[in-house]
Amino acid sequence: MAKVNVKVCLGTTCFVMGSSNLQELIELVPKKYGDDVEVAGSPCLGLCSIDWEFSKAPYVKVNNEVIKEATVEKVLAAIDKELKN
Amino acid sequence: MFIDIDCHQIKKYNQNAFGDYFVSKRYPDEAKLIAVLSDGLGSGIKANILSCMTATMLLKFVEGDQIPIKDAAEIVMNSLPVCQVRKISYSTFSIIDVNDEGHAKIVEEGNPDFIWIHNGEIMEPSFESIPSKNHKNRCMKSYKIQLELGDRLIFCSDGITQCGLGNEKLKLGLRRSGLIEIVKSKLEEEPEISSSDLSSYIIRQARNIETDRNPKDDMSALVLYCREPRKSLIFTGPPYNQKNDAQYAKTFIDFNGKKAIAGGTTANLLSRELNIPITMDKTISVGKLPSCSYMEGVDLVTEGILTLTQTLEYLESGELYVDNAAGKLVKFLLDSDCIHFMVGAKLNQAHYNPTLPIEIEIRKNIIKKMKTVLQDKYYKKVSIAYM
Repeated sequence: MAKVNVKVCLGTTCFVMGSSNLQELIELVPKKYGDDVEVAGSPCLGLCSIDWEFSKAPYVKVNNEVIKEATVEKVLAAIDKELKN
Repeated sequence: MFIDIDCHQIKKYNQNAFGDYFVSKRYPDEAKLIAVLSDGLGSGIKANILSCMTATMLLKFVEGDQIPIKDAAEIVMNSLPVCQVRKISYSTFSIIDVNDEGHAKIVEEGNPDFIWIHNGEIMEPSFESIPSKNHKNRCMKSYKIQLELGDRLIFCSDGITQCGLGNEKLKLGLRRSGLIEIVKSKLEEEPEISSSDLSSYIIRQARNIETDRNPKDDMSALVLYCREPRKSLIFTGPPYNQKNDAQYAKTFIDFNGKKAIAGGTTANLLSRELNIPITMDKTISVGKLPSCSYMEGVDLVTEGILTLTQTLEYLESGELYVDNAAGKLVKFLLDSDCIHFMVGAKLNQAHYNPTLPIEIEIRKNIIKKMKTVLQDKYYKKVSIAYM
């Protein structure tokens, strides 16, 4: 099975809008899923500048799915969904 | 050639103000530097005011280039009042005007003679004596010397040459010859020592000589060191016109010196143009700043505005050894002599979201403030190019 790839945006906008709290994923996810899921930070996913008018930062990418206004719960749910597929 | 300059001081025992005053300023347009060290008569607040006035007045006189340094010094020498208590002149000074070619003009009045070290040897430059017309015991020395790469100049107040006065070992104090010994042996140990380290070393040694380590006079050691500049480049913000990305990326990677990137989007842009992958630090960043990332060939990669804002704060407050991304950037900056900023003018619309904290400032303003503090407080040479 292919690994699920999670990228947490740590760009300026996402960081101040809450991704600093999402960093706990970096510790939490390996504990919960082991080697099936890989979490990493990203300097900037470049999403906030695309639809800033409706800025939904912070953003997290789980494989190719973009999670807007991400929270730890939302990201975990998305990982579960990917793992089921 | 870059002139690395720094001065360390300690106060006289039991005083709460410095009696010596050091002031220095770089003039990037004229590629020169002026520094003044003044020792006010007596100690404490009185000496502080006297030396501060003398030093700042001299700097102001000389910086405009309206009067030659010699004439400016002569005017000050002749007009300094006489201390009512001691009937002697009321502050001494050394003034140095040196340009990037190493051409130095130095005028001294009352301070111990400066020490010029060239290839490990002490030089004895010739000077012109200019006695004061209206004060018998005042005479200034004017030097014109040519400095070369690796040369050092050391200026000090008499607190250093007279330290240990009356001790069993040093009946006449350390004197200039003793100071030369201290400096020479340190240079043999560490030939490339920075001005900052050398001046603080001199102060520590002088203090150790004093009985009970209590300085009997204010001590100042000013060191100038001519060396190849350590250059660094900081790329922050995407260029306004995307068409130029490739060209700027090439300028960045071809730069001869240390390189840093401040900005997530900027890092992505350079990674794309130069085809160098970015890896993010896996550890959780502590506190309020995103952690650093890594790119091959680049010395430091950080987030943009937040890190820059924090860096500016550290530089202004003097809190220099913090273990986070901004602390690393501070170290990067302070380990350089000539710093060039490449600042992208493109705005990120997402930063104009009213829900964002107000700390998100405009990049250009932060860099401008950073330039001022790096120049005035840390004596760096700073240039900025907008893209």
